[in-house]
Amino acid sequence: MSFLIAQSLINGVILGTLYLLMAIGFTLAFGVMRIVNFAHGEFYMIGAFMALIGVTWLGLPYGVTLALTVAFAILLGALIERVVFRPFRADELSGMIASLGLAMILQHGALIMFGPDPQAFPSMASGVYRLGDLIVPKSRALTLGIGVVILLGFYVMLMHTRFGRGLRALVQDQEIASLYGVRLEIMYPLGLGIGIALAAVAGALMAPLFGVSPFIGSTPLLKAFIVVILGGLGSIPGAALAAMLLGILESFTSSFVSASAADILTFVLVIAVLLFRPSGILGRGEA
Amino acid sequence: MTLKSIAQLNGTVPIQFIVLATGLVMLALIPWFTGSIFHFHIAIMVCLAAMATFGMATIAWVGQLSLAHGAFVGVGAYTCALLVTRLDVPFVLGLPAAAIVSGAIAYVIGTPLLRLRGVYFVLITFALNELFRLVMLEFPAISGGSNGIAGIPKINLFGLVLQHQSEVYIFTLAMLALVVTFLWAVRRGPLGRRFSAVEENLELAESSGIPTARTQNTAFVIGSGIAGFTGAIMAHYIGFISPETFAFGLSVSYVIILVVGGRLLLAGPLVGAIFLTPLPEFLRGAQEYQHVIFGVVLILVLRFLPDGLAALPARVRSFRRAGQ
Repeated sequence: MSFLIAQSLINGVILGTLYLLMAIGFTLAFGVMRIVNFAHGEFYMIGAFMALIGVTWLGLPYGVTLALTVAFAILLGALIERVVFRPFRADELSGMIASLGLAMILQHGALIMFGPDPQAFPSMASGVYRLGDLIVPKSRALTLGIGVVILLGFYVMLMHTRFGRGLRALVQDQEIASLYGVRLEIMYPLGLGIGIALAAVAGALMAPLFGVSPFIGSTPLLKAFIVVILGGLGSIPGAALAAMLLGILESFTSSFVSASAADILTFVLVIAVLLFRPSGILGRGEA
Repeated sequence: MTLKSIAQLNGTVPIQFIVLATGLVMLALIPWFTGSIFHFHIAIMVCLAAMATFGMATIAWVGQLSLAHGAFVGVGAYTCALLVTRLDVPFVLGLPAAAIVSGAIAYVIGTPLLRLRGVYFVLITFALNELFRLVMLEFPAISGGSNGIAGIPKINLFGLVLQHQSEVYIFTLAMLALVVTFLWAVRRGPLGRRFSAVEENLELAESSGIPTARTQNTAFVIGSGIAGFTGAIMAHYIGFISPETFAFGLSVSYVIILVVGGRLLLAGPLVGAIFLTPLPEFLRGAQEYQHVIFGVVLILVLRFLPDGLAALPARVRSFRRAGQ
């Protein structure tokens, strides 16, 4: 029994890391630009396709592919901020509706380019690590490792650079931040770009585990959405806590009860949090 | 409002109104001119899409966007289909029951839900839509699970079974007219004035003594009831429903129709449905592009025509006046 608990815990942490990668971009877009980005899951899908193109079509090493994916996603995010979201800065609802349109364009654009069939992705590592009775496939360990490194990098950037300070200032108060010299013209495109890059990295990391198709974005979007609401819209520490909780909760309920029970439970939780504590479990976001 | 005041000034019906009405009637008659079953089918789908979007519009008139609209269409569809297939209730009773059940659910959840505004309301309704789908999948004994309910009988009005598409079309058209007339009356009355006061400035409305929470809840109940009403007709026309029919995508399609048609004008949902529902059929050669086109149209309309296509005549008029 204790073995099963430990195994569920490990699986939960791996899931939680993925959810956190997805959730940060989503919550950042809301915190900084007041955009509820329903297209966020499509960037996960685009990241997975980028990795597929890099590794299987161009034959690049996985590490190089990941770096290229990040660079491409930041540029794409900046472009999308300029073309799609900028006109709706003052209008949350219109920005959100525009993101619904953007999601349709991206998903069906990918469908036109790559076809509907799921594509296999070569595994990046084979074999398993054994710790006593516990089994962790090396591919999952690799995903977890890279994910944690990227999250740490993001944390350092956010907490210890001028740019990160600017982003945090914007989340707290946009007017005062810009009064103190935070330049919106740079922060908005770059903020969205970095959030999108994290989603794309999540897609590129998960591609070897789950395969690639134009429709893979909807589940990660849903998870990001759940995590961000539980953690409080716009709150990054809240997202971190909620992502780990959600990953572990899902892992445990699907081990001990059933996967669909986990889904229903999380949605009931989401609705309860929105109703009774819209600022999230940590209460650091805003409502 | 402006049309009416112009009419009163001149003592005649304005010419634009006549042109518009004639155009609509001609448009509605197209399937009879061509006689094609396929055109009848499209016309029915236009009516159903417009009707459901009218429900969503009612909620938008108090300033809220409900992404649970697809689920409310589903509640109506399941209510009517289950009543008719399991309990042998006649369709003419199942149809109002569908609207009442949807409206009642909206009434119960509306009070706590509508404390949330703007994107928070959108997010919670999005979660509710997903919850509806999951719950329907979880209890196959009632809902048929992922297999859905198949073989729903055709619409039966006091023993008259609507076999042919043209008969269903007449019925749907009549129901659409009923819904539009009802909403037209609502908008003209004191409730409609409360709606627009709440939409325009909630704090001001509140401080002027308008019960804003109750007003929003009323709109939510009416809109969701209309959704359920539409769902019942839809279920019995198509003959098959499953939880996936009422997934997030359905709500999004209504959002697109509403935004492209016009969020605040009475004609909005109708214009949007007439414009967008037949579009895929004309894009048969480029079917894979239709969703991309929908997405592009949505963003362009939001950007350049935020009041929707229905506001286009007024815009052109004011543009001309500015030019003179």
